[in-house]
Amino acid sequence: MLELRDVSAGYGDMQVLRQVSLRVEEGEAVALFGPNGHGKSTLLKVIAGLHPPASGSIRFRGEEISGLPAHQIVARGLVYIPEERHLFPDMTVTENLRMGAYNPRARRRMKENLDLVFDIFPRLAERRGQLCSTLSGGESRMVAIARGLMSAASLLLVDEPSIGLAPALKGAVFGAIGRINREAGITVLIVEQEIQHALQLCHRYYLFKKGQVLFERSASQADLQEIERAYF
Amino acid sequence: MDRFLNALASGVISGSLYAIMALGLSIIYGVSRVFNFAHGVVALIGGYLTWMFLTRLGLGLFPSMVLALLILFLAGWLLYHATIRGLLRKPNWEFSTVLFLLGLGILLENVLLQVFGPRVKAIPPFVPFDPTTGLGTLRVGPVITTWHDVLLVLVVVAAVLGLNAFLKWSWTGQAMRAVAASIPGALAVGIDIQRVFALTFALAFLTTGFSGVLLGTKYYMTPHVGWEWMVKGFVIVTFGGLGSTTGAIYAAAILGIVEGLVSLYLAPIWVWPIWFGIFLIVLLLRPQGIAGGRL
Repeated sequence: MLELRDVSAGYGDMQVLRQVSLRVEEGEAVALFGPNGHGKSTLLKVIAGLHPPASGSIRFRGEEISGLPAHQIVARGLVYIPEERHLFPDMTVTENLRMGAYNPRARRRMKENLDLVFDIFPRLAERRGQLCSTLSGGESRMVAIARGLMSAASLLLVDEPSIGLAPALKGAVFGAIGRINREAGITVLIVEQEIQHALQLCHRYYLFKKGQVLFERSASQADLQEIERAYF
Repeated sequence: MDRFLNALASGVISGSLYAIMALGLSIIYGVSRVFNFAHGVVALIGGYLTWMFLTRLGLGLFPSMVLALLILFLAGWLLYHATIRGLLRKPNWEFSTVLFLLGLGILLENVLLQVFGPRVKAIPPFVPFDPTTGLGTLRVGPVITTWHDVLLVLVVVAAVLGLNAFLKWSWTGQAMRAVAASIPGALAVGIDIQRVFALTFALAFLTTGFSGVLLGTKYYMTPHVGWEWMVKGFVIVTFGGLGSTTGAIYAAAILGIVEGLVSLYLAPIWVWPIWFGIFLIVLLLRPQGIAGGRL
């Protein structure tokens, strides 16, 4: 479904991604692990069209998408959920979710997707009329994920969804992402530091360091010590 | 007391004209953070084009205005894509867009001067009135006004409600609010930012041109009066909170009423000093304005 070949990117003279190659198959949940500041978020932004790649090929459903503007990539069904959330503070929860369905494909399925989202996040159903500026950190994170779900995406790129959340909320967020993947059949590529949680919902993982893929493993053969070693 | 009520009424009338005049400035700033220094001359172009279609082509007031506003809508869209879009990519875009639009304003002011000459022009009122014969005038209790002024206020209220409904309910309006709130958020949900910016300029030029037509029926037009309009618009949008449409409307109402009362109790010449006194105090005490930057 998604295939990267030799993708490089950077900021000015600083090279962040060095010839990254990876793939995600339809229906899979794939995790990217690795220490902070080594380019995982940049990689997601490059795939989503929010940061330009310097070279390499990004194919989504057989189509080359590198260099396309972000809104055209969203319209093709590839949606990025930013770690920083980037909600619209002066809009209500429902208005934020409706904006998630901005692309024409998603508008047609807005009603069903809204029901799905409120089913996955009952908390948001309670808060639907509230302005997003009044939500807690955990609720804001739920809105960000739910807004991504509203886009009728076939592939979601999720950037550190659990960062800064209380332990109980982390479980809820991972549970929701698992349901999105298993029940709604949406392919997921997730960047996470909560390795144990992420391994429960992922099929495969990549270890990413210094802008490169170190290795790739199946989640059923996960070796925690190997992952930990890679962090240092 | 009668004089007070009449001054209040005239304040409400000019306040509503200032409100619609300031809206275009506020929309552009709210969405794109560009301050349109050509704002006054855009309003004037709306007025002058309407005047030209009306007197030179012999079209009716309404068709003349629609045609003028259509031209301004396209001009806003084109101006964005041809110039502002490129300037926004530059690292010092805040400064370069201001200088560019200021220069454009001066250029267009002189074009107006060449084409229409320096003499005062006015657009005829919706309903002709003549205070000496009582034609088209209207008495509500102690307040004496004209049908034209009543219509002006109603038209402004309808336009403001329409614009708010557009921003609140249409996909494009919501996309404008989303871009105003968070550009990364807007990108994440798949909004085409360039399209939204271009439509914002187009819509703001249309609204601004419309306000110019209304001002042209109430006051007068010369190629230079646009700067005065722009400064008034600037005071209103800053007072109300840059980028806030509701704030601009409150600020315009307050400043309109201040103008009416100052004209009555002091003299019209005191309106500007007092406006700016209030403006500077608000700026010092509450720099985010009375409503604080919400589109």
